[in-house]
Order: sequence, then structure tokens, then C-alpha cells
Amino acid sequence: MTGAAVITVNGEARPIGEVPGDERLLDTLRWRLGLRGTKEGCRSGECGACTVLVDGEARLSCLSLTRELEGTAVTTVEALDRDRIGRVVQSAFAEEGALQCGYCTPGFVVALSGALRERGPAASAEALLGDLSGNLCRCTGYATIARAVARAREQLG
Amino acid sequence: MSAAARPDADLKVRGAAEFGTDLAVPGMWWGALVLAPVPHGRLLRVDLSAARARPSVVAIAAPDVAGLVDGAQGEPERPPFPASEVIYSAQPVAAVAAPTLAGAREAARAVRVEVDARPPVTDLEAIFPEWPGPAAAGSLNVAAHVRARHGDVDARLAGARTVVAETYRTSGVHQVPLEPHACVGEFRDGRWRVRTSTQTPFGIREDVAGILGIPERALEVEGTWVGGGFGGKGAAVLEPYALLLARAAGAPVRLALSYREEFLLGRSTLPFVARLETGVTDGRIVARRVRLLLDIGTSLPGRDFATGYSIGFLLGPYRTETFEVEGYAVRTNKPPFGPHRAPMAPQAAFVAESHLAEVARRCGLDPDEFRATHLWTEGARTPLGQAVGPFGLAAALTAARRRAAEWRGGLRAGHGVGIGLGFWSTNTGAGGEARLRLSAGELVIEQGEREIGSGSVLVGLAEVAHRRTGLPRERIRVAYAGTAAAPFDSGVYGSRTVGALGRAVDEAAGALLVELARRAGASGAVQLGVRDDAIVLRPAGGEEIPVARLLTEAERPAGGVASEGRHFGAANEIDAARVLEGSFYPYQDFTGAAHVAEVAVDAGTGAVRVVRYAAFHDIGVTLDPASARAQVEGGVAMGLGAALTEESVWTEDGRLANPGLLDYRIPTLGEVPPIEVTFVEGFPGAGPFGAKGIGEPPIVPVPATIAAAVRDAVGAHPTELPLSPERVARAVKAARSSGPPDGAPPR
Repeated sequence: MTGAAVITVNGEARPIGEVPGDERLLDTLRWRLGLRGTKEGCRSGECGACTVLVDGEARLSCLSLTRELEGTAVTTVEALDRDRIGRVVQSAFAEEGALQCGYCTPGFVVALSGALRERGPAASAEALLGDLSGNLCRCTGYATIARAVARAREQLG
Repeated sequence: MSAAARPDADLKVRGAAEFGTDLAVPGMWWGALVLAPVPHGRLLRVDLSAARARPSVVAIAAPDVAGLVDGAQGEPERPPFPASEVIYSAQPVAAVAAPTLAGAREAARAVRVEVDARPPVTDLEAIFPEWPGPAAAGSLNVAAHVRARHGDVDARLAGARTVVAETYRTSGVHQVPLEPHACVGEFRDGRWRVRTSTQTPFGIREDVAGILGIPERALEVEGTWVGGGFGGKGAAVLEPYALLLARAAGAPVRLALSYREEFLLGRSTLPFVARLETGVTDGRIVARRVRLLLDIGTSLPGRDFATGYSIGFLLGPYRTETFEVEGYAVRTNKPPFGPHRAPMAPQAAFVAESHLAEVARRCGLDPDEFRATHLWTEGARTPLGQAVGPFGLAAALTAARRRAAEWRGGLRAGHGVGIGLGFWSTNTGAGGEARLRLSAGELVIEQGEREIGSGSVLVGLAEVAHRRTGLPRERIRVAYAGTAAAPFDSGVYGSRTVGALGRAVDEAAGALLVELARRAGASGAVQLGVRDDAIVLRPAGGEEIPVARLLTEAERPAGGVASEGRHFGAANEIDAARVLEGSFYPYQDFTGAAHVAEVAVDAGTGAVRVVRYAAFHDIGVTLDPASARAQVEGGVAMGLGAALTEESVWTEDGRLANPGLLDYRIPTLGEVPPIEVTFVEGFPGAGPFGAKGIGEPPIVPVPATIAAAVRDAVGAHPTELPLSPERVARAVKAARSSGPPDGAPPR
């Protein structure tokens, strides 16, 4: 690794040469780059609150080492509204009231955006909900989240 | 179907809400706690020297506290750090801070702690294998003793045709907010300030001031967005340490629990054992006896609210001719007990409902009919002598029985349908105050609570002001201020936000209308509305007047005309003659729900799958249908966790065995069935416009409902929570070896 190593975060190249080898992407995003929309929950891959997109795919930033992501493009919740899928997903969650405390919400909207991008708008609701099953929500009982998934599919379809 | 977007939705979907864990202040240091290695023992040594030898580290323990608070004396029974004895699992014995998180963690590891370990007290039934006699009340392990009675229970039990005696055991459950506790403490110019993720900013101020011995006026508490509370974010778990470290470091200090620490140190509920005896003659309950041993961890004597409260839920909302209840709050070497959404009520309702269903079966009666005939009706007396107010539970049960009958038609093998009831009452807490300010463009509700997710603050309070004034909700803004500026309120708990703080808002809104009417010279009723983008006063039958014209010169630059409202709860109607010892609590109103579940049970493995679910709720009046429905859906899901998988497991040596989400399992997306939600109206409660709290009631009937459905499916009668596969399989085996209890002869 050299000092020229970079990752692209929300479209901007960020040098990561100084980042210690054991630093997690979650901490790089939150405390080096100030992007605290990505939430810290369990830090062990069990809750999904820290989900980000790496080259368009949903990934748990708490289990990802920043230095290993050299050359990739990371998208966090702060930049989700830069494409149509992200905007549709965010407004579907807002319109269905698919959030209460809001702590799991960034993880959910990022994960659903990644799933829709990967599977395409014709993806079944079952498949999309399956993709979200690693994201925990303690407030909603997932009912409004399932309605938001249905709404997002409808609007993209 | 669509719901109106919540005012906080846009912020939250963009990840722009700043929670406690997100706080960052320039020059901030990072804190870490050093936890005791064993749950009980004599503290021999806390050696901070190696930590302090590191560059830029502060490390503090018991001897340092007095110096950091200028010699003030905090409450001696709950010092921030123990001086000589470790009393609970994972008790903080020291704290450190450094400019980086890595530095703080290394410093924490450098602290040497030596404890002369002693056997911990963990198991209720190991302390009291037999029901404690009168001498136990003086035992060191007993923090509270409550007793109440009406009539001659012994005589009525002796004369009853059928008597059923059973023992039930339940487990502690954790709130599992996705955001662990987190705060930033500061000390500057002689003033203490903490920003924290809390349900009770004023409660934290009182708690911290008591623990540190500083005056409340020297401390400001400012709440952040709260990433899940559920009762767990009401006590001062971290704030005293963050403040002490901030003073020691001369810098703001961020202190947050790791998720493992959240399980270890969060204030959760603990196990209880309940023994119930019920006597029935000619289908009538003639006597009830309830005995409770409640684990309260290291809660302090005199601070126990749970014992007297839980016992009411063990009796349930049912008539009995005589009763006797007795409960002990038992101290163990666990962290202090904390409330969890409807504290103890889901577990207590499981006990009450399962027991009464068993009583009915042994009498050869239908359990649903038996409960229906004994339900409280308006005007009846509770066991403690309080008059029952408007109460929609019978109506909810009627609807639930209809749905259950539909589902029972054509049920598949291994499936079962059950009904569970849950009683609740809106809590008003220590009251609250709100201030309204009306300008030409908006109505601002100034108050001291943060939105914790339910919508009760941002949606509920705005809806109350809307209903009182007629002003559309988009013109009403709920503003938050910290304890230094906001009017007092007790906290967001007990389903009280709309029911109690909402009444303060309602009163302030009414006062505002009166003042505006006076200024406008209107004699009749007035309302507010919007015309040409400006707020107008609408006198009944009169001309609209722009509010701008009704403001004084002084009010215009100050944000408009202000009004205040307050609400400090209802009177205590408990019949004191029935209370023999300890504290019991009056109900502010009477609410509850009847739930129906269909489950599929694998009789071999004991695995339970919930197929469908319906909830019928007495809500008084539905103020915001989308929020109310969301509370029921979320509450039922949380209740399914308590019913089936959630359980804090304590080892014999006093450690929490499952401090993580893989071993403490909350419901995941695929495990929550479709939930049908129905509100029963027409039975007004204590809140504004007759509203009843809806935050807690939805969780209450769930374990009882699932247990009833499991009983229906496989004939098992589980007497322990949660209904893990192992417990269900054991109950199935027991039922099959002893034969169905339906055939048991009457005594």
C-alpha cells in the first residue's frame, strides 16, 4: 500500500494511505470523513444499521476493512438521492411511515437501493424482503417497511 | 395504503438525524469504562497508574470523584464507582478518557482491577426456596415488600368447589434499542452539560445531580434524537461518567456503550416467579391469591416501583370476590432493574391469562367465556377498590372471539388459535408543562421531550393542538429545548406523552384561544385557520381576523403570543384499607387489548411459527391513525420476541451469558406475520379528547396470546417464558404423559 491509495466515497476520491490496516470502513466514514448518516449498531454484522454500497452492492461497513476497499466506489446514505432508485426508496419509506426512531433507516434504505439496483425493478417483493432480512428494526415490526418495499417496486416498475 | 409523512421522515431517510452516537464536538476526547471482572466481591485494588502513565490519558475511580465535584456529596447508596465492594455484574469500577478511541481502549485495558470474588446471588428460588415468611421482610436481599387484601381468602379458598394452584417463571428481557447508550459530557465555567440520547431529559438531570451531589441548576441536559428507547433510556447509565471524565480531562468527553456493553449495562427487566391460587364455585371466581418474587438486581430500596405494579397485572382485569397479594422485590448481583415497554406486564399477562384459562378448563368451562364473564366493566371496583372507568376490553374481546371463530374453521393439523388479553393504564408520571407561541405564520409548541420514534411528541402533540385550535398540522411545529430552557416534563414513558403532556398542550391551546378571543372582542367560540398564507382567527359567526393584527408590539419580534398549560395527573382512588404494606399504584384510565394468533407448532421439536395475528385495541379515541397502527404493529412484533425467543440468560456465577444479537434473538423481518389492527372507540381515557396511551398496550397481550394458541395446537400448557422450542417440547411431553388437564376432577 502506498500513500496514493484511494477509495471513492460519494463520488469524491479519498486518500486512505494513512488509514491503519485494521480500521473498519464504518469508522473511516463516520469519524474520518464525518459521514455519520451510516449508523453504528452492533459492530459485528448482526444488525445491518451500517449498510453502505460498495460498487453498487450492499455491504456491512462494520465488517469491511477500509484498506481492503482500495479502488472501490462507496455510496452512503448521504448520497443515496443522487440516483432515481435511491430517491424512490427514500420517498417510499417516508410516505409509508416506514420508520420510527430512524436508527435502522439509513441501513434499510441503502440495502433496498442496492437490492433494487442488483435485481432490477421487476424483482419480486419476496426476493427484496429476503435481501433485507439481515437488517434489524426494533420499532416497526417490519410491516410499514414491507409496504415501503411494495411502494418502491410499484414506482420503479 | 399511504400514510401522511411524519415531520421527521425526510431527515431520517437521509441519515441526517443526529443521534447520541453521532455527537462530535471539536476537541472532544473519547471515554471508556472499566468493568468489574466478577459480579460480587471485595474490591482490593483499582490500579490506574499504568493507564495514567500513558500520554494524554485521564483515569478516574472512586477516590477521585469528590475532587471532581468540589467535595460535593452524592447519594451514598449509589456512588458512580464502588469504593470497597463490587455488587453487580459488569459494574463500572473506573473510567478513562483519551483524545482517540483507540487511546481510550488501550488505557482501559491498562487499568488493573483486583477483586476478592464472593459467590453472587443470582437465582430467586435459591434465595427463597420456600415462600418467605414475615422475617424475610428484614432480610438484606429484600428491597421492598408489598401486601394487599380484601375479604377472607383462606376461608373462601377452603370452601371453593375448584381450587387451582400453579407456579410460573418468566425471564428478563432487554429493550435492544439499535442505538446503544451514548452521550457527550462537558464542564465549563462551573457548569455541567451533557448531551445524551434519553427519553427523560429532566429525569437524567435529577438522577445525575443526585449521583454527583451537584445542584440541578448547575447541570443542563440536552436530548438528542433517540435511536430506540422502549424504557431503557431513562436512567443515568453513562452521563455521570462522561461528566466526571470531562472535568478531569478539561475537554468534552464522548462516552458510548459498545453493543455488548449495552446488553451488560443497559437497565433491563429481570426474572420473576409467581405463585397463583384461584378458587371457583359455580363458575364464579371467589378467591385469588397471588405471590410474587421479583428480581430487581441492585435497584435501591425505596426505588422499586415494579413490585406493586406487577401484582396488579398478575391479577388481570378480572373480578374476584376476595383476594390477597404479596410480593417481594429481591436484590441480586445484577445491574439495577429497568423498565421495558409496559414493564413486567407482558410476562404478568402471560401468567394471569394462562392461569385463568387453566382454571376454566379444570372447571370444565370455556376459557374465553370464563374470562369474558369476569372482565371488569365500567363502574366495577378493582381489587384495590378503585372504580373502573370507561373500558373497552369486553368489546375488544367480543371482536377477537369472532375473528378466532373464523380462523378455527378449517384449521390444519398442528395449528392452533388462541386469544390473549392485556390490561394497561396510561401513566401521567410526575406531570408536565408546555408553552405555545403563535405568530402570524406558525404555532410553535415549546416543550422538553425528544421524539423517541413512536411519533408521540412530533405527531401526537401537534395533533392535539390541531384538534383544539383547528389550525392545520403543517402550520404547527413541535420545538425542543434542553432542560435549561424548556418547561418541565416527566419523560416519554408510560404511554404518557399524549395522555399527560398532551393535556398540558391542550390546556395551553385552550388558553391561547381564550386570549385571542378576548383581544378580538369575540364572545363565542373561536378557531384558527389559514387564509392567503397567514394564520387567521375565526370567531363563530364572525369575520376572520389575521392573527398578525392581534399581536402586541412586544410580541411580534418575540415570536408571537404565548400561553402555558400544565397537567399533573389524577387523584389516587385506591382504597387504603386494602393496602397492608408497600406501594401500589392507581390507574389513570383503563385500557387494553384482545389479541388473536394462529400458530403452527412442531410437537417434536417444540418450534412455534406464528401464521397470522389480529389485535383489537381499546384506544379511547384515535388521534393519528397511521401512528397508532404503527405502534400496534411494532408492539406486537416486540411482544413476539418476548413470547418466543428473547431472554437474558444469567449463569450460576452471575454473568450474562448472551450479551449479543446472535444469542439474544429479536424478531427478524421474516419472522413477523401479517398483523391485522382494529381500534375500538367509545371508551374515553385520561388523555386529551378521551385518548388513551397506545405505546405500551400492544406488547402486553402477546405472550399470553401465543401461549393460548400453542395450547390449542398441541395441548401443552407452558408455565415459563419465553416459549423456546425446548420449553414447548417439554410442555408437550408433560401434557401427553399426564393426559389432558380438561379431565382433571374438581377438588
